[in-house]
Amino acid sequence: MTSKPLPSLIAVIDVGTHKTASLLGQIIDGKARMLSFSERRTDGVVKGTVTDLEKLTQCVHEVVNDIERGSGRAVEQVYLSLSGPAAEGERVKGFVAVPAHDGKITAKDVSDAIQSAKRLEPPEGRATILYMRQPTMLDNRPVTNPVGMAGKRLEVNFWRVTMEEGNMRMRVGMVNGMSIKVRDFILASHAAACATASDADKQGVLVIDIGAGTTDWILYYKEHILCAGSIPVGGEHLTNDLSVALRISRETAEDLKLRFGSAMHRENDVNQTIWKDGDKGVGDQQFNRGTITQVLSLRYQETIEFVRKDVLRRLEAIFPGHAVKLDQNMIPSGVILTGGSASLADAAEAVQLVMGLSARVGIPNFENESLRKPEYAGVVGLMTAAITDAPPPVRRPRGFLAQIKELFRL
Amino acid sequence: MVTRLSAQLPPEVAVALLDTDARSLPAGTATTLQLGRAQTRGMGTGGEAALGLASAESEEAALRRLFAGIPVVVLVTGLGGGTGSGAASVVAGLAAECGATVLSFATMPFSHEGERRMRQANDATVKLGQKCHGLVVVHNDLLLQQVSPDAPLSESFAAADNWVGGALRGLASAFAPGALIAVDPAALRSLLSTPGSPTLFAFGVGQGDGAAMKAARAACDCPLAHAPGAVAKVASLFVTVAGGSAMTSTEAFEAVAAIRARFGGETSTVLCARIEPTLGNRIEVSVLGASLPAPKAPAKPKKGAKAEDPAQPIFEFATEESMRRGLFGGTPMTFIDGQDVDVPAYIRKAVRLPPAP
Repeated sequence: MTSKPLPSLIAVIDVGTHKTASLLGQIIDGKARMLSFSERRTDGVVKGTVTDLEKLTQCVHEVVNDIERGSGRAVEQVYLSLSGPAAEGERVKGFVAVPAHDGKITAKDVSDAIQSAKRLEPPEGRATILYMRQPTMLDNRPVTNPVGMAGKRLEVNFWRVTMEEGNMRMRVGMVNGMSIKVRDFILASHAAACATASDADKQGVLVIDIGAGTTDWILYYKEHILCAGSIPVGGEHLTNDLSVALRISRETAEDLKLRFGSAMHRENDVNQTIWKDGDKGVGDQQFNRGTITQVLSLRYQETIEFVRKDVLRRLEAIFPGHAVKLDQNMIPSGVILTGGSASLADAAEAVQLVMGLSARVGIPNFENESLRKPEYAGVVGLMTAAITDAPPPVRRPRGFLAQIKELFRL
Repeated sequence: MVTRLSAQLPPEVAVALLDTDARSLPAGTATTLQLGRAQTRGMGTGGEAALGLASAESEEAALRRLFAGIPVVVLVTGLGGGTGSGAASVVAGLAAECGATVLSFATMPFSHEGERRMRQANDATVKLGQKCHGLVVVHNDLLLQQVSPDAPLSESFAAADNWVGGALRGLASAFAPGALIAVDPAALRSLLSTPGSPTLFAFGVGQGDGAAMKAARAACDCPLAHAPGAVAKVASLFVTVAGGSAMTSTEAFEAVAAIRARFGGETSTVLCARIEPTLGNRIEVSVLGASLPAPKAPAKPKKGAKAEDPAQPIFEFATEESMRRGLFGGTPMTFIDGQDVDVPAYIRKAVRLPPAP
């Protein structure tokens, strides 16, 4: 598994509600060079939940075939993105009380603490997908490497992501079906952050990835993942609201959203009449632009508000009894928006308004220009995360490894 | 609500109150029938639809007696709670079995009333739709959009009363003797002959100069007809125009022309006009319309679902699903803070949208 050295060829697949994208890269000096890229319309996923496994599997197979054909290389293993409410995260802790007579932390103390954190069983019926390291605390002070330091109580923390076992098996099976192994899962929001946020940003940044079916977010604090979550609302809801309000088809709503939509509703939008086709010919329809921006801005801002509440709720669960405030002090780099709906006009302004934090649209940092769009932050970030996260900082306990091995067996 | 409405109705209309809660059945004003005496002991259902259903079933004989010989039954019910959600489909079914044309007005709970009530109401509209000839769904959320944000709650409920009351008056007066252009209940029956077709309903009032046109325009703008997913154009229309003694037939026809321009009615338009001296210089227009059933998407066989008997077609109304959830109709509801977030944000937040150009 991931304890093996990084291969020279990395394939990633980002399965979204709307699109499935795959990227194959050659790793040279720790950087990825793109060999091939493919994206296709996703079938069989509604609101981030798999509804038709057969269709989805076919779609995944198609993108893998595409990148194999495009590069002339065979794909043996892939990294899969994980998004939506199915992947539930929580903080797990492990403690070690250091004997009073020596008082120096040893490497064994650290590994004991890690073991104790990972001994915590996931809820019944759920499998642990991944652990993400959080700050280590020595006598309630955060430390980078406690070995050799004096202290009484060592605490290690992880952000543990679990998923319903059947769901996980299904995702693994989807790829196994074409004799490819799942090398690892990567949280989609973490991927989006890896593509768009710098190390300096990770001192305090909230990355919100607005996909078609779900909005995933992740909060970094002092270089570590503090918490992450997902809201089952996304760009499809913007389209849906518009289609309901104007009684138009999904396609027309999608088109109007892109051409005239905005995450902000302004007074003078109301006085603008816009034409559906623009040729004023037979079948052309006129709409009030104010209706479009009103409908979209309400949904957009509400979704961001749901994210804000979810972040606060999770922070309160981690720091019970503390009044946590999402402000410039805690999150100096503000919000980075990624995903397809990050491109909606005035998105950053709306997020700024709701969150009370500075906000910007995140453009993935990648050599290939065609992928430097917020909607590709996920797939590009999977590649980045696969490189930067390997080898994993923490060994997985044997029980987990065995469990995963069984699941991943071809 | 029914108690308040019964005062406005012509004497030809018999009003019956049905409830499980004995306290909400005042004596004297109308026929009352307490449902589920054995099941609830007059205490209401406590929100349990199953209890509402059992309560109605237990009074089958009394309900049949109630509906005997009645040509048109208008069922007004609030869905979401136990009595309405459970009993409505039973009552409608019995009325239909007794030979009546059944038209139902069902109010849906506010989004903020939470998941349970909304689910219960959704299930109930589907069941009710299969039992009655016409179903008009009134969304409480839409009522909120009509009143100013700081208006008292009672005002939005009064608006609901007005619409449904207007509809009932319009219908009742159509069949009452003395109409300028009279119709008989069979006209309504033929209009609603295709159970399961989406039902359109609109109501408008106008006053003073050009009252008829004002009323027609108000009906065209009626939020009930603008409910998301509500039918835009229908094949058959049933228009009632009622006005004071000054109303002329030209006026009435103008109003109907305006209604037809907006809602269609190409196949047939039944017009009823009557003079109601008590209305003074006011004119009321109410519109009922039906189109052929919307083509049903081929049902996907669900895992573990029982195969439906093809000999028993199930009629589907444009109910909650397509009315409000749009493209998400048919998908499981997603709740955040007790609200189904697949319903457009502007509806849940009761924001009135700018007018179309």
